[in-house]
Amino acid sequence: MVERESPLGAAYTPGRHGVADKPGAQISEPRPGSIVEIVAWPGSEKAALAAIKGATGLTLPDRPGGGASKAGKSAFGFAPGRWLVIDQAEGLGPALRAAVDSETGTVTDLSHGRTAIRIEGVRAEWVLSKFFAIDFSVEAFPVGEGRSTAHHDIFTQIQRTGDDRFDVYVFRSFARAFWTSLCHASEEVGYEVS
Amino acid sequence: MRIPCPYCGPRDVGEFTYQGDATVTRPDPASTDQDGWNRYVYDRANPAGKHSEVWQHSGGCRAHLIVERDTLTHAVGAVRYARGSATKAAARPAAKAAAKKTSPRKPATRAKAGK
Amino acid sequence: MSGRRIPDGGRIDRNRPVRFSFDGRSYSGFAGDTLASALLANGVTLFGRSFKYHRPRGVLAAGIDEPNALVTVLRGTKREANIPATQLEIYDGLVTESQNRFPSLGFDLGAVNQLGAPLISAGFYYKTFMGPVIGPLKGTRFWMFCEWFIRRAAGLGRADHEPDTSRYERMNAFCDVLVVGSGPAGMAAARAAAGTGKRVILTELDPVPGGSANLSGETIGGKPAVDWAADEAAELAALPNVRLLTRTHVWGYYDGNTLAALERLGDHVSSQHAGEARHRHWVIRAGTVVLATGAFERPIVFQGNDRPGVMLAGAARRYTAEFGVLPGRRVAVFTNNDSAYQAAAQLRAAGAEIAAIVDTRLSISPAARDLAQKAGGELLLGHAVSATGGRGALSGITVQQVDASGGVSGEKTNIAVDCLVVSGGWSPAIHLASQAGQKPKWDEDLQAFLPPEPAQKWLGAGAFLGAATTAEALRGGRAAGLKAAGAMASRAALEKVDAPELDPHPAPVFEIRADGGKAFVDHQLDVTADDVRLAHREGFMSVEHLKRYTTLGMATDQGKTSNVPGLAIMAAARGISIPEAGTTRFRPPFAPVSLGSLAAERFGELKPDRLTPMHDWHIERGAQMMPAGLWHRPQIYGFPGETLEQTYVREAAAVRESVGIVDVSTLGKIAVQGPDAAEFLDRVYTNMFSTLAVGKARYGLMLREDGLILDDGTTWRLGETEFLMTTTTAAAGKVMQHLECLLDVRWPDMRVSLTSVTDEWAGAAIAGPNARKVLERAVKGTAVDNDTLPFMGIVRGEIDGAPVMICRLSFSGELAYEVYCGAGHGTHVWEALMAAGEPFGILPYGMEALGTLRIEKGHVTGAEIDGRVTARDLYLDRMLSKKKPFVGSAMMDREGLADENRIRLVGIVSLDRQPLGGGAHIVEKNSRDEPNDSIGHITAVCYSPALSKYIGLALVKGGKARHGQRAFTADPLRGRYGPVEIVSHHFFDPDGSRMHG
Repeated sequence: MVERESPLGAAYTPGRHGVADKPGAQISEPRPGSIVEIVAWPGSEKAALAAIKGATGLTLPDRPGGGASKAGKSAFGFAPGRWLVIDQAEGLGPALRAAVDSETGTVTDLSHGRTAIRIEGVRAEWVLSKFFAIDFSVEAFPVGEGRSTAHHDIFTQIQRTGDDRFDVYVFRSFARAFWTSLCHASEEVGYEVS
Repeated sequence: MRIPCPYCGPRDVGEFTYQGDATVTRPDPASTDQDGWNRYVYDRANPAGKHSEVWQHSGGCRAHLIVERDTLTHAVGAVRYARGSATKAAARPAAKAAAKKTSPRKPATRAKAGK
Repeated sequence: MSGRRIPDGGRIDRNRPVRFSFDGRSYSGFAGDTLASALLANGVTLFGRSFKYHRPRGVLAAGIDEPNALVTVLRGTKREANIPATQLEIYDGLVTESQNRFPSLGFDLGAVNQLGAPLISAGFYYKTFMGPVIGPLKGTRFWMFCEWFIRRAAGLGRADHEPDTSRYERMNAFCDVLVVGSGPAGMAAARAAAGTGKRVILTELDPVPGGSANLSGETIGGKPAVDWAADEAAELAALPNVRLLTRTHVWGYYDGNTLAALERLGDHVSSQHAGEARHRHWVIRAGTVVLATGAFERPIVFQGNDRPGVMLAGAARRYTAEFGVLPGRRVAVFTNNDSAYQAAAQLRAAGAEIAAIVDTRLSISPAARDLAQKAGGELLLGHAVSATGGRGALSGITVQQVDASGGVSGEKTNIAVDCLVVSGGWSPAIHLASQAGQKPKWDEDLQAFLPPEPAQKWLGAGAFLGAATTAEALRGGRAAGLKAAGAMASRAALEKVDAPELDPHPAPVFEIRADGGKAFVDHQLDVTADDVRLAHREGFMSVEHLKRYTTLGMATDQGKTSNVPGLAIMAAARGISIPEAGTTRFRPPFAPVSLGSLAAERFGELKPDRLTPMHDWHIERGAQMMPAGLWHRPQIYGFPGETLEQTYVREAAAVRESVGIVDVSTLGKIAVQGPDAAEFLDRVYTNMFSTLAVGKARYGLMLREDGLILDDGTTWRLGETEFLMTTTTAAAGKVMQHLECLLDVRWPDMRVSLTSVTDEWAGAAIAGPNARKVLERAVKGTAVDNDTLPFMGIVRGEIDGAPVMICRLSFSGELAYEVYCGAGHGTHVWEALMAAGEPFGILPYGMEALGTLRIEKGHVTGAEIDGRVTARDLYLDRMLSKKKPFVGSAMMDREGLADENRIRLVGIVSLDRQPLGGGAHIVEKNSRDEPNDSIGHITAVCYSPALSKYIGLALVKGGKARHGQRAFTADPLRGRYGPVEIVSHHFFDPDGSRMHG
């Protein structure tokens, strides 16, 4: 198997950065093996959720942005009848493809096409608020849920995978630019790249 | 301006793209009535006041929405999915007949898909 | 210091001296001082020269309303102009200079402008420079001649031309209640709203919260008001659901209760940490807004009212109470209302001598009379200041009797003073409310415009609503805060306020009319009362005309002190009431905003660049990159010493001779899937896709509904219900939206999904006679011979362990393939292809060579598909299916679009062997001097190694009918004129034999 190259290149600089004594944010690239998009035809949403559960074991609430995350697997809704399903392991695409027939919907493997960037820490909400015009408070954006938004031209799907942890999915071609901006914006709170 | 997306909740207008007047009807694809096409592509009422518009939540869930908006005050009223509302409209008998006309060359799978 | 500093009190820290400079001279102040307070403490009263007449000017106000005392701040080589000295906090090493003076502030040559004052009155620009040229000293050309001199003589500060290296950032915020202003009303509102548990943001434009509490000298709840404010602020700031933003002004109130604010984090310190922003642009979406923005004091218009030493009464109180600075030793008070009596008493208590209190009214409230007694000095009721005296700074005033309309008469009394404090009443700061709604309402009692009815979700409190007392502010603030938070009103007792019971109603006197010198309405732009009357005489009577004709209320202060007096003078001239004269609508920004903050994170290294998977490889190989939308693409891979043309010709020639490889990852790619996918493609493409076999690709053309071309590209059928559509790089987003809109709005019952997979796939195109040999060496798991992989065929295989998908297609006239693999394998596969191509001298080529090859082949791209061409214009008629309707089919045959004489695609050859220029016109006559009708334009140019000529593609009237004709290129911008031959656009491989071989 050929190893996948990270899109971050030299912009990935592990270690402590910024001014604060204690980093306010940790930034990392989780590099999941599988990122898959599922689309369900209107009326087939339940079948799609069942397919996701079958492939990942995750039970997703059937509501806008509903999601869940556990043991290296995550899934969330980001648009009507659309979900992003992520697995740290490779091979999720073929599994879901087998579980979703064309009468239910479609499956698109985006494992190369989307890059996951994780930011966590007490200042994660603050830093992300510099980019996205959505309410990151945990009341408005509960753990597990997903959101679709954009920073300028960078379309983004964000899942909150913990009180202070967010997994941000961007188009691979934008990953380095977004990563660079994210690090830049984190300088004032201090950040650690791992 | 903020638009309450039925999927994503209220978002800044910057996440949306205006996609035109929601009151126009696309003629039958096979129609050669130039007046009908002209009305669909070019003629716009430009109302001062209440208007029905198509906006895409392009910087979010990418759904197209029908937004009732007052062009004088920018007040946003009811917002609904373009797809959902059109589907519902298609369920009415009269509209269904029209919908059939719009796709004269249905492939075999479409008959099944219709239900 | 000149002894203007009071021994104690105020927000300054007397233990922390601060050194700064103004106009090259070094001064000392204290931490907490503004430049204005520190200079006043040093006895400096002259701050700048005025806009038009270069009159000496001092400081009129103490806050954001200051019209006069604008300075330039220098940081290294950076100059920032037009900063009000009243808003500029001093720090060690601050360097400032005054503006609009030459050679120096004290001795200014421009002051001669005063002698020519009648020539540069209101409407000077319009009268002198607009309209037809009817003489040498009139009209636009004369303006162009004069502009340089005028720009130097009149104006404000001067900007530098250095890039701004400061950091700016944007911050998105959400709250239930936004409270604007932290005076007693705002503080009470924030306190009440916070108590309900709602999320609250409280903003204060000054460094210290408290507003009027910081200067009133009152007591609230038994504490000095200033201490009450400090305690309240500290408690609020400690609450988890409250965000207190100081040094932050809310400047825009937009639709959807979205407000813009600017937080100034770096202007008051000599240096910041590397990661800190200088300014933070807040965009706040608020459930409800509480506007507690207070009120601005108005000056009274009278002769010589601009002399340094004349100051607003409230400003004098602030300098005394907040900064411990006496604005004068011997002070007179001039007022039409009670509030100035507090200034008199406070100044007296702080050690100033009150020479006189001059009041236009005949009677005053008992409380005011008490304060006058405390202040001492002569109380002159029914009097007005009719003139001021002094060389530069104020040395005395002239007082006369005044009638209710502002006319003076009787004996003139001269009083020696070094400071005159003035109050003409108060104007609520309704700017944000006015931005958010309707026209304001005039209140006759308060002689002020009050906020309009809310058109958005806001409530008001305090002086913003015309409240005159602190007790009323606290009561209104709490009520607004609770209501904004959706809570019940409270009947609990409020803190008791000890304050004199003053009459809140001013006399309706705005101008003191006396013969003689200038009386200024707008200090910043030198607009006098006579200018307003001149505008009236010349017919510019509506407030909007008044503003534009005289410039009243324009520039950095936006008329905070001048709007109402100017309006009152115009109303008087017209013989109508002030509300009948109306008021201009306020627009954002409330106060100046740095452009950097608005552009935050959108420039330099923070631009959202798009990089292909092989980007780093290109850079390492010395590629010169060029932008293609947001993408970066290799332009050429040059050798040292090569010109751009030499490089691309070498690269293109290598493709024609052997083989080359180019990064095509940027092509838009859309996964079109679902049971109705084939039908959908039939509807959106002009040609048929439902007949396409699985494993095959087809070139498709897409029209807009109006029948013009939208885009082109190949679409691959990967399965019965699965297609991969490619678009041009530039149109990818547009095509996606077009298709999504059709599916959502027009054909909602089609079962088709669209997903952008542009970034999923890395793409490399291999082209040239040896392309197949390279693939044969590289690809495992599939044959690539002509039978297995015919033209427009697709195969799947593996290259060096990575799965690939290969489609044989060509836009260059060569045997060519596009190899797609997972983006994360892009460089890996690319390098494997380079290695496999080594025996054939494979060369990577850039956009220039790619363009050259496609021009030679006559293949169109975005340069030709410019949104104005039809399929017929590009001779793509064969793509237009007659078997089915498709998007655009009904409108593409309209008369104007079918005209044979439209500009249509041709090739052109340079006959003088000189390069051609893209965008140049094609004309029929070769003349530089005579006007010459354009018959079209050049869309793309190159030097063709295959033809050894400079060639191009062009859109020319009649198209094919002109083949073989001679014409000329005319490019006045670049000075390029020369003969060309119009030929077929198929320069190379016209029969397709190389491509299909």
